[in-house]
Amino acid sequence: MTAIHSLVPWLDATAPSMFIKNHTWVWPTCQVLHFFGLIMLFGNVGLLDLRILGLMKELPARPLNQFVRWGVFGFGFSFLTGLIFFVGQPTQYMGSTPFYIKLSLIALAGLNVGAFYATGMFRRVEALGPGDDAPVFAKCIAAASLSLWIGVMYCGRMLTFLGKAF
Amino acid sequence: MEFLQWLRDTDAATAIRESESVWGYPTVLFLHTFGMAILVGLIVAIDLKMLGVARQIPIAPMKRLLPLIWIGFTINAITGLILFGIDGPNKIHNPAFPTKLILIAIGMVILLAGQRRAFSRPGRASDKALAVLSLAVWAGAVTAGRLMAYVEKLG
Repeated sequence: MTAIHSLVPWLDATAPSMFIKNHTWVWPTCQVLHFFGLIMLFGNVGLLDLRILGLMKELPARPLNQFVRWGVFGFGFSFLTGLIFFVGQPTQYMGSTPFYIKLSLIALAGLNVGAFYATGMFRRVEALGPGDDAPVFAKCIAAASLSLWIGVMYCGRMLTFLGKAF
Repeated sequence: MEFLQWLRDTDAATAIRESESVWGYPTVLFLHTFGMAILVGLIVAIDLKMLGVARQIPIAPMKRLLPLIWIGFTINAITGLILFGIDGPNKIHNPAFPTKLILIAIGMVILLAGQRRAFSRPGRASDKALAVLSLAVWAGAVTAGRLMAYVEKLG
């Protein structure tokens, strides 16, 4: 942790960080793109989660993976713009509790996806035809996915209010 | 204008705006983001479907997303009214604000008058154009909404 902390003053003075700080359009532009990403992630991953939980049961589950790809694309958008925020204002993020919780929840969401594959639930879900009910464990993973991403959004919003002020 | 100032100064508005508690203004703002993610996120999924994603499946079952979209819309109408009520005089002078409202209205009309018909009669030639228009309008609405926080600071 101390090693990371000592990196912050260095990062804060690097050329990319100065660029973000000195150009007032960068931050709002990335904010807009960060929101585009979260919308794509939540809507498209949420679609598969909802099917697993039992909404739109007439649909086979497998083709919904094509939406999930767009969700992953959205995550990439939000991740890159999030990285730009961190590089621009690293001192604001270090020591911020909602920021650490947000990163932890993103990591948990990643582990949740890992569990989806590792436990074989992925194959069971892919095999779901029209009208088929998903296994209970798959429903737990889908519910965890929705909850974790809502939690990530909550922590993101709280960054400004809890911990250090932006 | 006087009404907006009166509204802003009511005890309830002042409490939400100036409370130190995370259950005041921050929570209202979070719910507004949450409602947006449901509303726009699911509309984007419908747009993608109309543009040819997951071609193998029918679009009709996606009409079950409409009640959820309405839940997102309702959350945002309520939290939006609160956010406007606690800071009306500033919001009304923010050019991003009417832009956002007009785009949301257009987006909802596209969804309810145009895209909803695709659930019962899919495969029209106009489906793709509607989906592209919907994506553009909602991108504009989200952009205007997000920029309200920054336009305010310039003015």
